[in-house]
Amino acid sequence: MAIVDPIYEGLASGWKHLDGALYQGSDKPQSLEADVVIIGTGAGGGVAAEILTQAGLSVIMVEKGPLRSSRDFDMEERTAYPNLYQQAAAMKTADKAIGIFQGRAVGGSTTVNWTTSIRTPADTLAYWQSEFAVKGLSADELEPWFEQMESRLNISQWAFEPNRNNGMLRRGCEQLGWDYTVIKRNVLGCWNTGYCGMGCPVNAKQSMLVTTIPAALSAGATLLSRFEATQIEHHADKVFGIWVQARDQNLAPRPEKLMLKARHYILAGGAIHTPVLMMRSGLTDPMQLLGKRTFLHPTVLSGAVFDEAINGHSGAPQSIYSDQFVWRDGAAGELGYKLEVPPIHPVLIASKTLGFGKSHAELMANFNQLQVVIALVRDGFHPESQGGSVSLDGKGFKLDYPLTAPFWRAARAAFASMAELQFAAGARRVLPISEGVGYLNSWQEAKAAIADMSLAPLKTVVASAHVMGGCPMGEDTTKAMVDSFGQSHYLENLSVMDGSVFPTSLGANPQLSIYGMVAKNATALAGRLAPQSKPPETAPETDPVADGVPETAA
Amino acid sequence: MNRRKFLLTALGGTAALALGVSLYQPQLDVEDDGDKPHRILFSLLMPVLLEGALPEMAVPREAAVNRTLDAIEATISVLPTSQRDELEQLLDLLENRLGLLLLTGNMTPLLLRSPAELASQLESWRQSGLALLNQAYLGLRELVLASFYSCPEHWTLLNYAKPELPGIKS
Repeated sequence: MAIVDPIYEGLASGWKHLDGALYQGSDKPQSLEADVVIIGTGAGGGVAAEILTQAGLSVIMVEKGPLRSSRDFDMEERTAYPNLYQQAAAMKTADKAIGIFQGRAVGGSTTVNWTTSIRTPADTLAYWQSEFAVKGLSADELEPWFEQMESRLNISQWAFEPNRNNGMLRRGCEQLGWDYTVIKRNVLGCWNTGYCGMGCPVNAKQSMLVTTIPAALSAGATLLSRFEATQIEHHADKVFGIWVQARDQNLAPRPEKLMLKARHYILAGGAIHTPVLMMRSGLTDPMQLLGKRTFLHPTVLSGAVFDEAINGHSGAPQSIYSDQFVWRDGAAGELGYKLEVPPIHPVLIASKTLGFGKSHAELMANFNQLQVVIALVRDGFHPESQGGSVSLDGKGFKLDYPLTAPFWRAARAAFASMAELQFAAGARRVLPISEGVGYLNSWQEAKAAIADMSLAPLKTVVASAHVMGGCPMGEDTTKAMVDSFGQSHYLENLSVMDGSVFPTSLGANPQLSIYGMVAKNATALAGRLAPQSKPPETAPETDPVADGVPETAA
Repeated sequence: MNRRKFLLTALGGTAALALGVSLYQPQLDVEDDGDKPHRILFSLLMPVLLEGALPEMAVPREAAVNRTLDAIEATISVLPTSQRDELEQLLDLLENRLGLLLLTGNMTPLLLRSPAELASQLESWRQSGLALLNQAYLGLRELVLASFYSCPEHWTLLNYAKPELPGIKS
């Protein structure tokens, strides 16, 4: 059975797509114009593009990564990581203590995420309202927007049996009487294979790549892939253009540049690259908020070996989570942690474990008996959890993220909870992924060992797949760069619509929070802009489509 | 790999050092294919990092080593420039006597060290309290292990294969 590839078919039907690797400056327009220019095509940019296009506005979307589609997705990490992830999935904080997975291709992280769709927790929204003067984002006010996006992206509770990796998380919770939830996923006709993180090969995942972006393109929007926004040109309270630079097949910069001009500009490059672009462009930031308070949900891992087969590579990667410990001590109390599982694939497990040689080979030989639980730490609420900071370093940027004492307290508690859960589910041995502990044979042994274990950067494996903050929203300009609609406090025709506006982390996987808030904010923006807009067909005067057929994977 | 030629270079370097004359060539990759850098260095580290995973029999072992060397090269080639520069700096240090002294407290080229000595060196970086040495250990470990396990040829060890789906490219 042939899989329908909406990207391939759309390009063949004449979508306006300009690929930076193929762009020739001399015979192409030097500038493009539209009603709205959107930088970034992930959860924020994708939703905004569809809503604004439907309102009759002309839209240009810009993505630094390549345009890839299901025919390129071969379910192998060696292909997916370099093609679809920031820095080939090897992005790290400045001290290399935290590895960060972030998407970088058309569709952004939605192309590679694990489909977990959770509405913003009410505690988080309440905290933003009281501490950051965020308005209009209560659970009640957001409900219709979440409903709209859940419907648009076919988000519904996973109706099938969880795979055994998730099943053990559920079994442990059941044994211990802990809270757990069956996850809602943005899938339609899912084959339950387990390769969401490498790009869905059957287009079941309702990522931006197969939903909002094709809809926007079919309605006349223009997509620039392998173009990076390098500079926002601005004067007084207005942006008057954004420079984008072409990138080659390997995403190295090419000399060709284009000026994009619009009535309104939306930044949606994610919580690292949006603040970086704003800082690089010297945007007004009197309170020095840009790039500060960057949150990661820093995550620790616990492996367990079961006698029975787990086959954690197979089946929906996430279908169960436990919020038993997320809010236990109140929002601003001890850092809580959410329990989930990751998919178990060869490179991911080989690298996010410990040691080398025989001990590592033995661990890998148990690949199919291996069950892994992860604890995502809710950062940014506790006074001593200020997150990280993104700064420019000449060539690019760096992200410093100090792992502070409250984080390590949460990590220790999380290692204990994970071990307790895994033993309760029937694990034979548990291996906290931190140097010096080794395999533990019972919950009693684990309890004592974990209370006593040393935890430290570069010794304890810490990972992140959720980047948030760095350009906070709210009505108090001493604490916020943009208002509660994402509108800049300083530039009248600039908005930010991605996870960088979150004043803290979420305590939940972020995609649905971004979808819902951006649906609300982009709809409001469309109401402001649309009455004067022209039909989308008249957008760029010169058709920028350089290639009738899609680019293929290198 | 032209191991003999390399040994001569290394020994020549040792002799020169004893004589107080530096004839040492920091570029150790004097194997036949000169434009594939660091292959000797990785072929030394690989049996240590991948002990228990590499086949014991000579022919399949050599195939796995060569496959992984190619995969390492591919991995390095897709790293962003800043990371590749950092890694190259580390690899250059390991191929250079003063660098070795700095990182290992000892100028003996890695080629002249036994696998057990190399393992204990990696282990000491792993256990070190210095972030620089931890980073060196983690960088090499991740590069070699990730490259090895990225190859479908090595997945039989895991009893793993990616699913074959009708209509999907394999």
